[in-house]
Amino acid sequence: MSVEIEITGLGKIFGQGAAAFRALSDINLSIGTGEFFTLLGPSGCGKTTLLRVIAGFESPSMGSLKINGDEVAAKGPNARPVNTVFQNYALFPHMSVAQNIGFGLKMLGKPKAEIDSTVAEMLRLVRMEAMADRKPSEISGGQQQRVALARALAPRPRVLLLDEPLSALDLKLRKEMQSELKRLQGETGITFVFVTHDQEEALTMSDRIAVMSAGRILQCGTPHDIYHAPTDRFVADFIGDTNFLTVPVAALDDQGATVTLPGGAQAAARLPEGMRPVTGEEVTAVIRPEQATLAEPGAGDMDGVVETSTFFGTDTHIHLKLADGQGFVLRRQNTADLAAPDPGSTLGIALGAGTLRILKD
Amino acid sequence: MAKSYDVRRLPGFGAIAVLTFILLYLPILVLVVFSFNAGPSQSEWDGFSLQWYVAAFGNQQVQDVSIRSLWLAAVAAGMATALAVPAALATTRVSRFPGQTMIYALINQPLMVPEIVTGIALLIVVAWVKVNTGYSGMAYLVLAHTAFCIPFAYLPIRARLETLDPTLETAAADLYANPWQAFRYITLPLLVPGIAAGFMLGFVISLDTVVITEFVKSAGQDTLPTYMLGQLRRVITPEMNAIATLFLALSLLFVTAFFLITRKRG
Repeated sequence: MSVEIEITGLGKIFGQGAAAFRALSDINLSIGTGEFFTLLGPSGCGKTTLLRVIAGFESPSMGSLKINGDEVAAKGPNARPVNTVFQNYALFPHMSVAQNIGFGLKMLGKPKAEIDSTVAEMLRLVRMEAMADRKPSEISGGQQQRVALARALAPRPRVLLLDEPLSALDLKLRKEMQSELKRLQGETGITFVFVTHDQEEALTMSDRIAVMSAGRILQCGTPHDIYHAPTDRFVADFIGDTNFLTVPVAALDDQGATVTLPGGAQAAARLPEGMRPVTGEEVTAVIRPEQATLAEPGAGDMDGVVETSTFFGTDTHIHLKLADGQGFVLRRQNTADLAAPDPGSTLGIALGAGTLRILKD
Repeated sequence: MAKSYDVRRLPGFGAIAVLTFILLYLPILVLVVFSFNAGPSQSEWDGFSLQWYVAAFGNQQVQDVSIRSLWLAAVAAGMATALAVPAALATTRVSRFPGQTMIYALINQPLMVPEIVTGIALLIVVAWVKVNTGYSGMAYLVLAHTAFCIPFAYLPIRARLETLDPTLETAAADLYANPWQAFRYITLPLLVPGIAAGFMLGFVISLDTVVITEFVKSAGQDTLPTYMLGQLRRVITPEMNAIATLFLALSLLFVTAFFLITRKRG
């Protein structure tokens, strides 16, 4: 896979002097051609600023930004082979659907025949043929979304930027548009850079995800890696539910570490790359609630006293208190008509093999 | 929970409202009614007639000053609007800069300075320029009216700009439009209702202004309102009522157009 976007040492500072705000720090990113790449993080983490820097709406304060090998950091948005789907769609209200879709090609000075045929093709692609002559105010939110997509795809950009494009849609429409986006990306082969704060959306749609917080990229990897091998406490906490256990290191070996669990039992835990704690040092270990199973008291890796349990249908979340007072949540699959455990009762907790991970703090 | 406050329930509200409307419109109604009087009186009704309208239309002077008023208003409002568009863009489509409020105040200066003060100031400057250049054409009136109309043209344009989503211009730039194309294809068409409203308002203001014209005009440069003012010093016949009624109708036409345009926004 060739590299489409290469970002090196990029930073963005808003304001000056005492009022200066560092929106992006030391961003290094390489996005491959045809990749569905997601910038994920809570609001204010800098993901939209990074998208706007790639689009050219903001210029970076430092660093380099290359698109298809060309340095574009100093170029305006109209000089970059990049188009954007805006959060509020930003359709031109005085133009018809077809005129909206054809606008980019018109600005590029394409002949009318080519514009007309591309607009027709785009209308087909987003299944909006019947709406070509409508004004944006005369179509629904979901249809506006499709027009915004078609308008951004019509000039055949190398990169399509999507700024939380699904956040204004209701749940059902959002699910529909998620698969629609995947289909469009497959059919066009264009690199998609997608911004969202919705971790589920990121996990289901992306080839790779960059998790951002406070203007930095904390971890970049496949959805599988981000979920199963978070290297950072923030990432582990932001993506899915996680149990954090503070435990002392009992021993170290080539494969990883052995930690002492609350209650005294020992368990193997994987170490992140480059981290070598010393024996006796307290570290943070993480495990997902669905990676532990219930056992008879004393038969698992540790025991816990049931505090509450919440029934979710497919599973039940059981909140337990461990021997040293730390909390632990276990997600039990309701494979049968299982009764909720009694609060106050003691249960054993068995950790799945290889599921316990130590985090870099 | 307390019942919602309704000013219409206050004692005397109806009476005050009726009295206010009478004060506002009764004199105008009387003026209009007597423009159709068959006789020459402003107080005794002698039957319906259109004779004063015929007289007004046949009056060469009335024709001359009306045409002068209309073209002066059109040129001044046109120039004021052309200047107000960039002024509105420069005070809304940029990040806040020091002195922005000051510039806003300066643009709207004619709204705050008493017209008589502006008039006297113009009189002094125009007299000085006339003496030094020997020129005494219509340019003085055109420039004075233009300057006076700018805030009236500026305010509706700025109001319209503030309702426009700046993301639209960003989207145009994203779709390869250069700044001029973004203005030409996106901002300007969406601004048209504001520009039309600004022109209408400027036109009516120029048409109506008496004080500034009175101080700036040279001999033979009367506009309709200054001509009417001059006539009032002589015998008042219902011909003046007829002219005033027509003038009122013209003003109402433009003000109504202004409201219709501004209401349609969005």
